[in-house]
Amino acid sequence: MALVVKKDDDRDEEGEYSPFHGLEKGAVLQEARVFNDPQLDPRRCSQVITKLLYLLNQGESFTKFEATDVFFAVTKLFQSKDLVLRRMVYLMIKELSPSADEVIIVTSSLMKDMNSKTDMYRANAIRVLCRITDGPLLTQIERYLKQAIVDKNPVVASAALVSGIHLLQTNPEIVKRWTNEVQEAVQSRAALVQFHALALLHKIRQNDRLAASKLVTSLTRGTVRSPLAQCLLIRYSSQVIREATVNNQTGDRPFYDYLESCLRHKAEMVIFEAARAITELNDVSSRELTPAITVIQLFLSSSKPVLRFAAVRTLNKVAMTRPLAVANCNIDMESLISDQNRSIATLAITTLLKTGNESSVDRLMKQITSFMSDIADEFKIVVVESIRSLCLKFPLKYRALMSFLSNILREEGGFEYKKAIVDSIVIVIRDIPDAKESGLLHLCEFIEDCEFTYLSTQILHFLGNEGPKTSDPSKYIRYIYNRVILENATVRASAVSTLAKIGAMVDSLKPRIFTLLRRCLYDSDDEVRDRATLYISTLEGDGTVVESDKDVKEFLFGSLDVPLVNLELSLKNYEPSEKPFDVNSVPKEVKSQQLAEKKAAGKRVTGLDAPPAPTSTIDTYEKLLSSIPEFSGFGKLFKSSAPVELTEAETEYAVNAVKHIYDRHVVVQYNCTNTIPEQLLENVSVIVDASEAEQFSEVGVKPLSSLPYNSPGQTFVAFEKREGVTSVGKFSNVLRFIVKEVDPSSEEVDDDGVEDEYQLEDLEVVAADYILKVGVSNFRNAWESMDPDTERVEEYGLGTRESLGEAVSVVMDLLGLQPCEGTEVIPNNARSHTCLLSGIYIGNVKVLVRLSFGIVGHKEVAMKLAVRSDDISVSDAIHEIVGSG
Amino acid sequence: MLLAVLIANPEGNILVERFNGVPAEERLHWRSFLVKLGADNLKGIKNEELLVACHKSVYIVYTVLGDVSIYLVGKDNYDELALSEAIFVITSALKDVCGKPPTERLFLDKYGKICLCFDEIVWKGLLENTDKERIKRLIRLKAPTEF
Repeated sequence: MALVVKKDDDRDEEGEYSPFHGLEKGAVLQEARVFNDPQLDPRRCSQVITKLLYLLNQGESFTKFEATDVFFAVTKLFQSKDLVLRRMVYLMIKELSPSADEVIIVTSSLMKDMNSKTDMYRANAIRVLCRITDGPLLTQIERYLKQAIVDKNPVVASAALVSGIHLLQTNPEIVKRWTNEVQEAVQSRAALVQFHALALLHKIRQNDRLAASKLVTSLTRGTVRSPLAQCLLIRYSSQVIREATVNNQTGDRPFYDYLESCLRHKAEMVIFEAARAITELNDVSSRELTPAITVIQLFLSSSKPVLRFAAVRTLNKVAMTRPLAVANCNIDMESLISDQNRSIATLAITTLLKTGNESSVDRLMKQITSFMSDIADEFKIVVVESIRSLCLKFPLKYRALMSFLSNILREEGGFEYKKAIVDSIVIVIRDIPDAKESGLLHLCEFIEDCEFTYLSTQILHFLGNEGPKTSDPSKYIRYIYNRVILENATVRASAVSTLAKIGAMVDSLKPRIFTLLRRCLYDSDDEVRDRATLYISTLEGDGTVVESDKDVKEFLFGSLDVPLVNLELSLKNYEPSEKPFDVNSVPKEVKSQQLAEKKAAGKRVTGLDAPPAPTSTIDTYEKLLSSIPEFSGFGKLFKSSAPVELTEAETEYAVNAVKHIYDRHVVVQYNCTNTIPEQLLENVSVIVDASEAEQFSEVGVKPLSSLPYNSPGQTFVAFEKREGVTSVGKFSNVLRFIVKEVDPSSEEVDDDGVEDEYQLEDLEVVAADYILKVGVSNFRNAWESMDPDTERVEEYGLGTRESLGEAVSVVMDLLGLQPCEGTEVIPNNARSHTCLLSGIYIGNVKVLVRLSFGIVGHKEVAMKLAVRSDDISVSDAIHEIVGSG
Repeated sequence: MLLAVLIANPEGNILVERFNGVPAEERLHWRSFLVKLGADNLKGIKNEELLVACHKSVYIVYTVLGDVSIYLVGKDNYDELALSEAIFVITSALKDVCGKPPTERLFLDKYGKICLCFDEIVWKGLLENTDKERIKRLIRLKAPTEF
């Protein structure tokens, strides 16, 4: 019975009622007046400080006046000798962060404490002073801080060292003067002092490579007392390793032995840090990597979730470049798929998807299916993205992977998740032609019950482009017309456009499409009605909208030939009047071309809303070039290169060049940006010296009339060359312009200009410029379907190379072909490798290349190059490129 | 940098919140993100069992102790392992101050001492003290015994 009563008492005492319930700032500030009492009550004062801290920790803020008031009151508490209260006062002053003019009130008290005989007063006073101090005051107390760093009491030393770490950001020149004392502290026998001293010393020396290397050398030989300091040392040594070079003779790496010895340390933290550091070494060899992977593998079955997470996260990173090295851990990772911690399970899955081989795909898919139902959307998206990569890696497995994607598409999920799945299906359809029909049907089924307007419209747009190219486009019509009956106006309008596209492309379906479009003429929404009317008259070819069948297709499938930004601006500037808006009045110059290209280059795999970057960029270029009369007769643009920088970063004028290749011409587009606000450049052109490019003759220049500050513009130079010849050469470039001064405040331009020139880097036209990167989904099939008589095989010696990877990337850059089936990734220290490449040679000739590399003797690389193409002369040309490269 | 230390009650109300190097406008986002993370994952978790997550380049280690949930957010040097070390120090100090895994009431009763403990463990984003005995003495301004 007594026990029961006791329990009740407990409940009363620890009830839900908060001691701070209903706490109000005003009331607490009133209470803070007790700090001014002549007879201080330390207990009461501590309670009031606690309440103030509670308010601050809840996000409450004090006005300047309130904070000053409390601060002055708190300083009075220095009179009390009560230790607990003094400790609270130190904390409170730090929390209040008094302003520079208030600090003076408390400085003398803190200086007194800093010289006190009581160690703890010293330590805390240092922390508070360093928190609230400014430069001049710091100079005054610097002497004491230096003493404190080597104080025999570790708490005082640590307080000064940690303060130093913070002060290094605001007053680096002062803290750097403490190096000798910090160096002494690094040798301290107190573990934490050594940890803090090491952190500070490294921060002081981090920009001095030699000093950082010396520090690491001395410490790796000495004693490091705490695991935390040991971890720091491991990080610093891997930084030194990164910056150092491998000893070419022995192949040894400095400090590798140290890292390896840390794998046998008793603290898990240190073992793991060392293992991770080894996996992150540049060009790590299998011999170096193996012990680290073995240690990490053990952590995979640790009882501590943090260690399991860290281990699988590291393996995931390794798997991106060295999937084979991680394969040994696959069984352990498979058991992590059922880990309670979903972050661990997701990482395990995505790692397995990278390390698995073609034969394990089906088994993995089964495991993932059961796992998907109980993880959050954000994890599911990661899995979907991994599956997309896997599908592109093993195109033959598209059936299993596509069926997985379509299954999860039917399940519940938010917008981002569904978008990731749809994007993946679209990318798979684009890259694997065999997957098109089934993929489109999955998308059709999805829009039958899709709650996201955005996704429905995107899919309808995609169906309009791809559906007519399939064997039986009629089967999609039902799904599309259902949208017209069941969906909201936006989706209905999209569906109408899609129907029209199919009607335009497939003559046999035209009558049925007309019937359906006519039904849309009575839609309740005007946009839907307008579209239906427009498309009916377009498709009927009555001549009111377009003239010919070709025009119909151009109208329906062609993209807007003006940049959207320009169109938006022109529409905003258009004032309603009798004169209709003329789309031809919209400027076609792409203002932010440079930026758009950089973005496109950084984002490789994209889904529905952004078609693959190369296509869109080349479209933009083609439109831009064909709008310039001088170049419009050059024919079809074959290829545009990525921009080549012709200036250093952050120079006065930033210029990069894009090479546009035609059958008989090369046009160089110079994208120029003026980065000086006080200048306006006019009549900008590039003077090209083609003496080292004899096969080219200059045929035209299009100067840029004006180049204002920070508004990119383009100038062009066109060259003629012989048809069917892959002419190469080097152009020297000089930017010529008239510079005028601008007053940046009033933007007034000086009338007088001065002619000036600016030297640019050289630009080379290379063989790879004449080859388009186009992949094939199944290299073997493609290879075997080509005429074996067109095959040309030759062997080459590539000389001494650092690694096989280096040799492969040199040849790939030389040829500019698309690597297939992931063969561009070479395991480090591999002795042989086969790389499969494909592309289109100028003149639309398909080319496939098999490169077999092998290392002969000591780093001598030999290569066998086999080429097949639609035209035997192109096979020879590829050999010529390699032979002359 | 140890970006944030956050302690909340089972309803997700904040009891202690300390940010370092996190812009003021992002704090609310972090607070709601962490509380949601806890609500989704901490149910049925044993005391001091660590959960871990990463969000972009930032790591999060979190756990429950009695009635309160504790979240640590770190980046760069403060990865999941360093954070688990720091959270271990925090849970030991909390148990020490409260005498047991705290109820919310007990936590608030000892609020002042707990704030002092935090001041000794993490100061402006750096781990400062790791030994609970030492922390216990330091918050009473007593010099550590073991040097």
